[in-house]
Formats: sequence, C-alpha cells, structure tokens
Amino acid sequence: MSQTLRAIIGFAVIAVLIFLVGQNQSWNVALAILNLCLISAVMALGVNIQWGYAGLFNVGIMGFAALGGVAAVLVSQPIVTTAWSAGGGGILLSGLAVLVLVGLILLVSRRMSSGWLKSLTLVVLVIGGYIVIRSIYDPAVNAIEADNPAKSGFLGGLGLPILFSWLIGGVFAAGVAWLIGKVALGLRSDYLAIATLGISEILIAIMKNEDWLTRGVKNVTGLSRPVPYELDLQTSERFLGWVEWFYADQLAAVSGDERAQVLRALTVEGSSLFVKLCYSGLFSVVLIIVLSLCVMALASPWGRMIRAIRDNEISAAAMGKNVTRRHLQIFVLGSAVVGIAGAMLTTLDGQFTPSSYQPLRFTFLIWVMVIVGGSGNNLGAVLGAFLIWFVWIEAEPAGNWLMDVITSGLDEDSGLRKHLLDSSQHMRLLTMGLVMLLVMRFSPGGILPERTGKN
Amino acid sequence: MIDFLNALVLFANFVFVPGLAYGSQLALGALGITLLYSILRFANFAHGDLMAFGTMFVVLLTWWFQSLGLSLGPLPTALLALPIGVAITAVFALLTDRLVYQHYRKVKAPPIRMVMASVGVMFLMNAIVRFIIGPNDQNFFDGQRFLIKARAFKKATGLNEGLAIKASQMLTVVVAILLVAALFWFLNRTRTGKSMRAFSDNEDLALLSGISPQKVVMVTWIIAAGLATIAGTLYGLDKSFKPFTYFQLLLPMFAAAIVGGVGNPVGAILGGFVVAFSEVTVTYAYKKLFTYLAPQQWAPEGLMQLLSTDYKFAVSFIILVVVLLVRPTGLLKGKVI
Amino acid sequence: MKKFLLASTIMAGLTGAAFADGHELKMGVILGFTGPIESLTPDMASAAELAMKETAGEVLDGKTIVSVRGDSTCTDAAAATAAAERLITSDGVVGIMGADCSGVTTAIANNVGIPNGVVMVSPSATSPALSTIEDKGFFFRTAPSDARQGQVLADILKDKGITNVAVTFTNNDYGKGLEASFKAAFEASGGKVAISAAHEDGKADYSAEVGALAAAGAEHLAVFGYVDQGGKGIIQTSLDTGAFEKFILADGMIGESLIAAIGEDLNGTIGTLPGSESAGAAKFKEVASAAGLAKNDGPFMPESYDAAALMILAMQAAGSSDRAAIQSNMMGVANAPGEKILPGELVKALGILKSGGQVDYEGASNVTFTDVGEAAGSYKELVVKGGKFETVKIR
Repeated sequence: MSQTLRAIIGFAVIAVLIFLVGQNQSWNVALAILNLCLISAVMALGVNIQWGYAGLFNVGIMGFAALGGVAAVLVSQPIVTTAWSAGGGGILLSGLAVLVLVGLILLVSRRMSSGWLKSLTLVVLVIGGYIVIRSIYDPAVNAIEADNPAKSGFLGGLGLPILFSWLIGGVFAAGVAWLIGKVALGLRSDYLAIATLGISEILIAIMKNEDWLTRGVKNVTGLSRPVPYELDLQTSERFLGWVEWFYADQLAAVSGDERAQVLRALTVEGSSLFVKLCYSGLFSVVLIIVLSLCVMALASPWGRMIRAIRDNEISAAAMGKNVTRRHLQIFVLGSAVVGIAGAMLTTLDGQFTPSSYQPLRFTFLIWVMVIVGGSGNNLGAVLGAFLIWFVWIEAEPAGNWLMDVITSGLDEDSGLRKHLLDSSQHMRLLTMGLVMLLVMRFSPGGILPERTGKN
Repeated sequence: MIDFLNALVLFANFVFVPGLAYGSQLALGALGITLLYSILRFANFAHGDLMAFGTMFVVLLTWWFQSLGLSLGPLPTALLALPIGVAITAVFALLTDRLVYQHYRKVKAPPIRMVMASVGVMFLMNAIVRFIIGPNDQNFFDGQRFLIKARAFKKATGLNEGLAIKASQMLTVVVAILLVAALFWFLNRTRTGKSMRAFSDNEDLALLSGISPQKVVMVTWIIAAGLATIAGTLYGLDKSFKPFTYFQLLLPMFAAAIVGGVGNPVGAILGGFVVAFSEVTVTYAYKKLFTYLAPQQWAPEGLMQLLSTDYKFAVSFIILVVVLLVRPTGLLKGKVI
Repeated sequence: MKKFLLASTIMAGLTGAAFADGHELKMGVILGFTGPIESLTPDMASAAELAMKETAGEVLDGKTIVSVRGDSTCTDAAAATAAAERLITSDGVVGIMGADCSGVTTAIANNVGIPNGVVMVSPSATSPALSTIEDKGFFFRTAPSDARQGQVLADILKDKGITNVAVTFTNNDYGKGLEASFKAAFEASGGKVAISAAHEDGKADYSAEVGALAAAGAEHLAVFGYVDQGGKGIIQTSLDTGAFEKFILADGMIGESLIAAIGEDLNGTIGTLPGSESAGAAKFKEVASAAGLAKNDGPFMPESYDAAALMILAMQAAGSSDRAAIQSNMMGVANAPGEKILPGELVKALGILKSGGQVDYEGASNVTFTDVGEAAGSYKELVVKGGKFETVKIR
C-alpha cells in the first residue's frame, strides 16, 4: 500500500472514531479528545525531530512540557507588586550572583593550570559562592512566600495575553535543552536518555518547591484564556442568536416553556462546544505551522545531512560534518517544539499544577505515539499522536467494559471478580506497553514508515 | 568529650546507619544494571520494575508461609521465601529476554532500540505488578525489629543522643556483603564468570574463543534478576513494598551505576554508596551536630542545611550531571564506553 | 416528530437522566483511582457508593442511583477533565462526587462542572484557594478549608504551652496550604516553627527528612500528611531513630490504621479532625462494616459518603433530577432547620422529604455548609490514649 493511501486511511479512521464518540458519547467529549490530540501531535512532532531525524532518545519530555507550563504562568499572570517589593530585589540579586559565580568558575577552570591549587580554588569558589547566594536568596524567598500565601505568595507574571507564552515556552525549553545537550550529547546515546530522565525530574522538583516562582504545589489556577468563557457566552445576546440560528430545526419543533428549556440546554452545550472549537482552531494553526516547517526542513539539504548523520555518524563526521553540533541543534529544536505544546496544554487546562507532570503520561506516552505513528515521518508522528491519545482516553471505559465481560462468568461477590474490576484502571499501562513492544518488534517503521530518498 | 561522643552518635544515627543500608540496597540494584549493561550493552529501564516484580512474589510467598505458620524466629520470614522469589523472577526475566530482547540482538539493532524496548517492558511489568498485588503499600516484615533501640541506647550509655539499629538494616548490610563476595568469586574464579568478563571486554574475541553467547546472556539475566529481587526484598523489609516507589528507585540506581563507571561492578557498589550518602549528607541539617562540636557562643542561627530535603532525590542527578561533565567514564573507569 | 425526538435526545443528554427511562439515575464518582493517592480512593469510592446502595429504589419514586466511576488521576488535569467531560455530557450524570485532589478538582470545576451547571461535591479537596473560585454556587465540599484547621491546631498548641515545633507536610496543595495557614497562625500566637520540611508521598525512606527535622532542636513534630502514605513513614522513622516521641497530627493522619501500625509509642499524640461529635462517625463505621466495606475509617471516607448522600437528598428535595434543581436544594438539606440525619438514615430522610418535611443532614462528618458551600469547619481535638483516638473537646 502506498504511503499516501495509508495516511489517508489512517486519518480517516481517526475521523470516524472521533465522529463515533461525538454520536455515541457526546460532541463535547469528542472535541475534548480532538483538542488533546492536536496538542499531543505537536508534542510528538517535537519528539520525532529528535528521534526520527537524529536518533536522539530524549526521556525528559515531561520536563520540557512543564517548562512550557511555567511560561504560561509567567506570561499571563498579573504582576504581584507587593511580592516584588518584598523580595524581588533579592531574587534578582541572587540571580546576578549565580551568573557571577558561574563566570568565575569558568574563568578559573579555563585559565588556571591544573593541579591542587586549581581544585582548591574551585571548591572554595563553589562553597563560598553557595553560602553567599543562599544568604541573599533565602530571606527574599521567605518574604515573597509570606505575602498572602493562600492566594498569591509568588512574584506573578507579566500580565500579557497567554498566547505569547506559546512562544516563550518554546524559548524556555530550548534554553534548558541547550544546557543539557552541552552536557550529555557527544557521550554514549544511553547517557542522553538517563540525563534527560534525571533533569526532567529535577525541573519538576524545582517547580514543586520554588513557590516564589509558580506557587509550587499550591498550583496556579484560573489562568487567563485566549478564548471566551462559557458563562459569558451563555449570557451573551449575540451567542444566543447564533444558537437559535444553528439549532433552528430543533427549536422549531417545540414551543413555549419547553422551548425556553430546550434553548437553555442547547446554549449550555453550545457554549462549551464553541469554546472547544476556538481552541481546536488555535491548536490546528500551530500544528499546521509546525508540521509544514518540519516537512520543509526534512526535505531540505539540512534534513538530508541530519539523516546522514543518524544513519552513519562516522562517515558523516569523515565528510566534515560536525556531528555533536548538529545533534545539539536538533535537540534544542525538538525540545522547543515540546515546550510550545506544553504551554498550549497549560493554556487549555487553565491552570498549572506541577505535580501533574508524571513520566508515564508526559514522556512515555508521547514516545509510544511517535513509535506507533512512524518515527522519522512527520505525518506519521501526527497520526500516532491522534491514535494513541484516543486509545489512552478510551482505554479506561474500554478496560472497565472488558473486565466486566471477562469476569461476568464469576460470582457477583467473588473476590477475584472484585479484584479484577478494581484493577481495570491498570489496563492503560498494559495496553501502552503491549502496543509499544508489538509495534517495535513487528512493524518497526510504525504505521507510516519513514520515506527514504527513492520513493 | 561527652559532646564529641554525642555528635558522633548523632551522626551515626541519622547519617551513617541509614546511609549504609540505603547504599547497600542501591548498590545491589546498580550491580544488576551494570552487569546487564556490560553484557547486553543497554541501560535497562525496566530494572526498577523488575525489582518490584521479584519483591511482589517474595511478599506473596511470605504471606503464604505466615499463614502456614512457618517462621525463622527472630529473622523475617521473607528470607525463606526469597530463593523461590528469585527463581520465579529469573524465569520471568529469561522469558522477557526470549520474547523481547533476543530479537534485537539477532538483528544487531543499535543499543538505543534495546533501551526503548526496555521502556515497553517497564510499562508491562508495572501493570502486571499492579494487577496482581495492587498499588498499595504492603508491609511484610516480621521477626525482631531492632538490634539496638534508641531509648535503650540512651539509657545504657547516658548520652543525650540515641542510636537505633534496625534488624533490617543489619540484615541488608550482611546480605549485601555476602552477595557481593559471592558475585566477585563467581566472576573471577569460575569458568562461566570468566567467560562473562571476556564477553564484556570484547564480544567478538569472546565469540571466536568459543564462548556461548546464549549461556552468557542467560546467566547474566539470572544474576541480574536475583540481585534485583534480593535488593527489592531488602528495601521492602527495611522500608515497605510499594510498586511506585520501586519505579522511582530506577533513577538513583542509574546514577549509582554511572557515577561508579558503567560496566564496572566495583564501581556500581561504590556508586551506590556515593549516591546514598550524598543524599543523606547534603540534605542533613548540621545545626545540632555543630552545636555539640563548636563552642557555645558559635551556636548557629540557621539550620546549616546545604539543600532542603525537597531536593533529596535531585541530589543523585546533580552528582550524575557533574560526573558526566567532569569524568564521563565514572569514578572508576567503566569498561564499556 | 423526528425533530422532536432529536430535541428530546439532546435534552436527555444535557439534563441528566430526567428524560431517560428506566429506574436508574447516574452519579459520577471522580477520584484518583490511579496516581499518588490510588490507595485511598477505592475506599472513598465505596463509601460514596454505600450511600447510593442504601437508597436503592427509594429515590424519586422508586429510582436507584448508580455510580459511574471516572479516574481523576489526582494529578493530570487533562485526563481528569476528559473523564469529567465524558461523565457529564455522555453518561449524563446528575451530579459529581469528587474530585479528590485540589488541583484536578479546580480543573474539573472550572473547565467542565461549572460551565455545564453540574453540582460537584468534593470529599477531600481542602485547599483554601477553592473557597474563592467563581463557582456560581455549583461547587461544594464536605471537607473544610485548611485555613481553619491551621488556626485550630495553633490554638491547641498554645493552650498546651507548646511554643516550638518542627513541621513536616506532604508536598502537595493540601500539605502546603495547611502548613502555611498553621505557620501564620502559630507565629501570630507567639510560637516558633523551628523547621518546616516537605516530604513526598510514596517514598518509603524518610531518614533524610527525619534527620533534618530532628536537627532543628524542637521536641514536637507536627505531621500534615496522609495516614497510609508518607506521614506514617515519617512517624515510624522518627520513633525508630529516636528523633521525636511527641507528635501533632492533622486530619489526613487520623486513622486507626496508624495506631495499628505504630503501636503504643503513639500514646499522647495530639490531633485534629473535622467534625463535632463522634455520633455520626461512629454510626458510619457501623453502617460501613455492616455493608461489608473493606475499611470503615479510611481518610475522607465519611466525607465521601456525605458528599453522595447530600446530592441524593437534594435531588429528593427538588423532586427532580434536574441539575439546576439539585444545586438549589443543596444548602437546604445540609443545614438547619430540619430533622437531623445520620449515616444509615438516608431512607428515613428521603421519606421526610417526600412528605414535604425538612432535613438537616449531619452525616458521618457532621456537615454544615458555610455560605460558600463548604463544611463549616468545627474540629475535634483528639488525643491518643491507650491505643485509641479519644476526643478531648470540640473547637
């Protein structure tokens, strides 16, 4: 079967599945699934850039997605002036001190000749600098966190529209990726995996514990939205007009009190559908932009060079290509895309909850998407994201149903039946693991395998 | 003098003894990771869940033995169940190798493929463990809990500070020493062990000299599964068994293996203790210790804590990153780079 | 005709099962069945389902409430929102018992519950921030805000003359929120928090945390965590190492299982728990045991039972399963005037409501809603004596 046909069939299947959900469950559920499919697709594209183009195994997707979330908070939240006057200066000063310290350390490690004197200077610098920084930083943090801790207790953000954060999220993720890449690229490929896994955990730990930045585990809720609020729509005359127009058929069938009741119900449903559609539109725009950039990049000379490096590092290096530098570039780019998706996700959620970043959901699930879809193939990654997110969401009801069927022969009160029913929630893990292993083993190219030069 | 003794006991109680036990548990896990790494040449992400899997069987068997009335007196019943648990886990590990990893060896896939496959295995095992025993905390320790109790120690010595040593901590250290000794004897003195080392040093050469790769791989999995089960059981006895916790142990174990030098068994042990002790020492608040040691007027205002305990588990990764930056081969040179 | 059918199908999907036939009405139970508090939630869910079972065939002229479970994952706002979306728009639940953790609860309320006009009653989201969300009157909780508990704990310590404590809290919005409110109240009354350190749940090894806590030099340790999670580990490690012998516990730590696990070393421990008298709680234990539940005193089990019971009663009081009607009757059934209702007396309450009477649901956790729809927050001061939690007085 040709690639194009496969792609068309794949996306048609998704469309049918979402349509079925809309018909059988509800259109709100269907659109909610679609929105997360779109975000997942952007995230999967980011992973695909790293894995599919360059063979970099990044197990820290979670951390980059969370950085996007931080950006959403820092961009959209209003500035908290009381907190700034309480400890903003201290934070800035300690940030400056960190930069100075890093500069000194770099200077010493570059300029001084090796020997015990150099080691001693470095140790003294690190310990001394640490103590100095802590003595500036700690009081500032305490002052900020004591400022109305139940509702605020952080510095706030810039008060800009949240859409800006999608870009900033990418920038944040790119910056951190650059640092990690500097450390771990150029070493064995597994080291990048382990380093990214570790650093993503540290990032989450920082977000959970540095309350002055994003309120830590107290979460930031009620982020501003790029789209209208349902409740505003429900009271807006114009929206009511739209609902009456759109559902004219249904409304014509009823009258009087009943009509008012139906109209109210339709308005509630319509408002939340409308909001979701707005999000779908925004996400689709981002997805299309990222996807077309990816497709163009992959087809360009640059893309061919990257794939050449992936397929044979040694010969690419012999041809004068700087492998580590290209890897760094790819790693930064892919992470930036993940950061954008992370900011989009936080925008959709309307809140930032650091403890929601779990590796199973944010790292490994995305990986399954890329592997199933077809690593190295942009459209494949998108398709994989749609399919796997759908499975991930519907695995829960399906798991419940399956367990019910399996255990239906057992006695109503049987301990085993109860145990199995209680365990049906773990179906998700099992499904994801199995899908991943089976695809890797029997169809390593995924649904849409990478196109090689010839076809 | 009394102050000095108090400080010493304080340090032993809060830093040294817990660090020693935790370090031994990490070391055993890291040994398994490093062995797999040097023979099969991939980082096994499913190792934490392999530990959980093995421990689960030990827990289930322990309960069964307890219901039969079997016990080891002052020692935990789990020790009785351990050999059977190891056997089951080894069979399971061999099965995953057969069904999953063997294929990638056959097609000579790059190691990163194996790493990814191990991620899939991790998902599966995670689910299986939760299906069978559930996600909850399980306590399966029985027998005598303490060798020395803090209160008894205070009374006996007249010091301000107490020292507590749990039976499980002692057990951990003793078992770890025995196990490591046995492992090194095996690697250095037996034919199979030597062929494993040869295989790890140079695969092609080992194959040429007639070493059977199937056998080497099989033995490696059996040893790794055994180490994982024993480490998991000791950890569970010392603390408690919870599947999610074992997943999280993966990260410090990796750190330990890399810090020590991947592929180097001595390094794995060293790494285990480095990670464990740095977690404890960096997050310990030295205020009290300092108060004992320094003159009265120097008594510190703050807690003298280098890093808040919130970042306890970040410590191992900071070490990891520093080692990768400064000495990517690990403290002791790893064999496989 | 076809158009009419279409319209009424939409209606049925929207206003719950008001138009659905059969004798079953669905109620959503959204809790974190997977994730960090997965060991608490099955018991909470069965407590809520107990209330539905108790009223089977008695609600609104012979209807039965059945539960539809959804997984909040406790942490993943996206998954929780999706589950809630499915329950509300597809299953057409009449109301939602949940969610559990404050973060996902806020997400569900803001993104799905409030926009769709569905009543949510959370049994365990205690973050002070939830008092002020714009809920249009649709969000309730049977657990009081932690702002109050922190004050109560500080008062108790002041009365006992304890002025220097070490505090450890579970690292989530519950623990952190409670710690902040306790610290503020305690320091205002002249106390000193020697050290305040978070602990992550599910770590199993807490020697580093305990070491740091002990080093601060306080004699008492206040533990704001979960009874079968990190909190238990902290207490166990503290006793094992001789770091602390005197503990102060917040509501998440109160449970017989703690005493069962720790033993007599816990004697003398002080604690607080929402509620004003033990009659309802004791009754709940009876009912739960009689119904064969696995546990009868898990954290937030009474609150879960009450959350479900309140919605059932409000439905009966409204005489309809319309979501808005349920919302407008929630306050009425929860608060005075009316006959006091304890666990196990739901059928009686339904009867009273059917005949036009009024009820004041006390339930297992002594529910009284404040004007923002959360439990008012009277607390029991507890002390462990002879291996049991005993109520000293009500605050």
